[in-house]
Amino acid sequence: MPDPLGLLGYAAGLNRTGPMVPLRGGSEGPAADAPAGGFKQMLQDQIDQVNELQNDAKHAMEDLAAGRRDDVDSVMTATLKADMAFRMLLQVRNKVMDAYEEVKQLRI
Amino acid sequence: MYGSLDISTSGMIANRTRLEAISANIAGSDTILNQDGQYEPFRRRIVTLAAGDPSGNSDQGVHVASIDLDNGPPMMKYEPDSAFANADGYVGYPNIDIVTEQMNAMEAQRSYEANITAAEATKSMMSVALQLLA
Repeated sequence: MPDPLGLLGYAAGLNRTGPMVPLRGGSEGPAADAPAGGFKQMLQDQIDQVNELQNDAKHAMEDLAAGRRDDVDSVMTATLKADMAFRMLLQVRNKVMDAYEEVKQLRI
Repeated sequence: MYGSLDISTSGMIANRTRLEAISANIAGSDTILNQDGQYEPFRRRIVTLAAGDPSGNSDQGVHVASIDLDNGPPMMKYEPDSAFANADGYVGYPNIDIVTEQMNAMEAQRSYEANITAAEATKSMMSVALQLLA
C-alpha cells in the first residue's frame, strides 16, 4: 500500500489491540538515552529552537514589508510556526512553574 | 512536527502561481504584439503541477513543474484593414477563452482557500493538543 506521508506504520502501531507498547525501549529505564545535560539542557535547546523560529518569522515579515519577497503564504506559515512553538514553550514553562510552586510549599 | 503546515503552504504557493498564469492569460487575451512591438500573438500559459518538493528532496506537497506555452493555432479574425493582416485579410489573435480562464481562476482560488482551511485545521489541532498540557 502506498504510504507517501509515512502515517500508516504509525497508525498501525497505535491501533494494535494487544497490550500497550512503550514508544521507546523501556527496559533500560528512562535515563538510559537521556541527553547528557538532562532536563535543563533539553529545555535550553528547545528555547533556542523557538528563538530561531521567531527570528525566521521576524526576518520573513521584515522582508515582506520591505518588498524583498512577495510570498505572503510562506511568511504567514513561518509566523504560525513561531506562534505555535512559543505557545508550546509557554505551556511547558507554566508546567515547570507549577511544579516549582508545589515544591516550594512543601513543609519540612 | 510542522509537516502538514508545509504541505498546505506548498499548495498555496502552487495555486498562487497558477492564478498568476491565469491572470497573464486574461490580460494578454487581446495582445497580438510581443514586447518588442513585432507581430506575435500572445500564447496561453499552462501551469503543470507535480508532487513533491524539488528543493528538499521530499515527496510531500506540490510544486509547479513547468509553465508551458499553448502551441495551438491562433484565432483568426477578419480585419483586412489591419497592418498585421495576412494575405487573406485575417489577423491571428490569442486563442484564449475568457470564460474558461475565469473558471480556471475560480478553481485556483478555491484550491488556495482549501489549503488555507487545511492549515487552519492543523493549527486548531495543535492548539487543542496544547490544552492537554494546561
